[in-house]
Amino acid sequence: MERTLDDYAHSNGLKNTNPSFKVLFALLTMIICVISTSPVIPLIITFLMMFLIIFWAKIPFKFYLKFISIPLFFGIMTFLFMALFFGMADPWFKINLINVIVYKDGFNLGALVFARILGGFSCLGFLALTTPMTEIFSLLEGFKIPLVILEIAMMMYRYIFVFLEEATNMYQSQKTRLGYLSFKGSFKSLGILASNLFIRTWMRGEQVYISMESRCYDGSIKTFKTQNSISTKNMALLVSFEFLLIIGTYLTAGFKIL
Amino acid sequence: MKVIETKDITYEYPDGTKALEKVNFMAEEGKIVALLGPNGAGKSTLFLHFNGILRPSSGTVMIDCENVNYNKKELMKIRQKVGIVFQNPDDQLFAPTVVEDVAFGPMNMGLPKEEVESRVKEALSRVGMDGFEKKPPHHLSGGQKKRVAIAGILAMKPKIMVLDEPTSGLDPKGASQILRLLYQLNKEGMTIIISTHDVDLVPIYASKVYIISEGKIIKQGTASEVFEDVKTIRGANLRLPRIAHLMEILEKEDKLPFDKPYPLTIGGARKRILKEFEE
Repeated sequence: MERTLDDYAHSNGLKNTNPSFKVLFALLTMIICVISTSPVIPLIITFLMMFLIIFWAKIPFKFYLKFISIPLFFGIMTFLFMALFFGMADPWFKINLINVIVYKDGFNLGALVFARILGGFSCLGFLALTTPMTEIFSLLEGFKIPLVILEIAMMMYRYIFVFLEEATNMYQSQKTRLGYLSFKGSFKSLGILASNLFIRTWMRGEQVYISMESRCYDGSIKTFKTQNSISTKNMALLVSFEFLLIIGTYLTAGFKIL
Repeated sequence: MKVIETKDITYEYPDGTKALEKVNFMAEEGKIVALLGPNGAGKSTLFLHFNGILRPSSGTVMIDCENVNYNKKELMKIRQKVGIVFQNPDDQLFAPTVVEDVAFGPMNMGLPKEEVESRVKEALSRVGMDGFEKKPPHHLSGGQKKRVAIAGILAMKPKIMVLDEPTSGLDPKGASQILRLLYQLNKEGMTIIISTHDVDLVPIYASKVYIISEGKIIKQGTASEVFEDVKTIRGANLRLPRIAHLMEILEKEDKLPFDKPYPLTIGGARKRILKEFEE
């Protein structure tokens, strides 16, 4: 079976690192990435995160490439769009074929947005690939997120996988009986699958409620979490790293490619 | 002492069909009781009466010789006393990690955190699942999920454990691990009620057997008493244990001197055969 993002989140080189440390690290770095006014720091962050994900968290390069390819595509599209249609002063060159003038400031803006997208996504990728959802839930609880929202999120997360499995089973059994042979047939089969899954979700919900009631459920899930705080050494490391990045953004603030 | 007793309970669905009809069921303290029956006979419905999830249309349910009181506070007490392990572990394991799921029951009981922690640890090691605390249920195999589901009930330290088809969908090793665990728990004093259609395992463990068919108890007694009535067994879409079936064929087809009651277990059959050889 193909390994999913969730599998990697649960078994990677950094899985034993304190989750609050990882969340704080990713979030702060992402913020710096976004406030940077030059593409230098975001690009440095992109490569740094890639390095951490591949060599420290030991995520296979191919998987990471697949993961980052979507934001990369999105980033390139944004860059092209901005470079071609944004900016007004300082024309750089003209593409006669489509009659578009490329301005230097538009090009710079495009490059900055591209770098920010990639940098931000690398931070998010670091978080998604090294920290299991379950640990993020327990952190969110510490952030005083309303419990109702957390409970719903927790159950959604849990049952995504149950229904994913059921949907896969149904899909394969439909395929076994040639349900996806023709274009029209595919639509019909997919419709049946979706409606069936909906009914099952409903029934499953009833069952889950009964089984929770059997364990004295009274309307609110009292969670049982163990929090451990970040060590002083890691905290110092984190602060100095982020500080370095901030100095970097300050120094490169005026830097422009063109 | 009778820990669970139902007196003439009938349960009707809103449309009037009867899921249970005048069921009299009784479990004595410290015993293993098996409820045998084909699919759709009403096993699960009966079980949901044991902890007050369902309320009978008529008749009474008694826990520890007391009528069940259906107010909220009393129901909580009953649900601590009677733990139900459901057939499909995916219906039971709702939390994102094993440890949170096992802690769910004890937390609802309002126990202090240290107590919950030690109970969770103990329950997980009882079922042989220590080290899986942080795993999400979808990374476990079927047998492992089942064991975690049992741990979730064990952590509540119930007096009576009710298991709906505890071995269904498990491989032989997984099934025998579960049964060995139940046997062990029973030895320590827990009353255990299981529903199953695995007739080969019932005679080994259960001290009392009920057969339910179409919402009615049609036979009860010890395993050998119940399986003596071959006609009723087959009428209820069940069968004899393989060993007993073999003995029946040897008697009827090959005219060998193995008459009723047929031995139900390998141990019993072995004794019978050795006896015949000696004679």
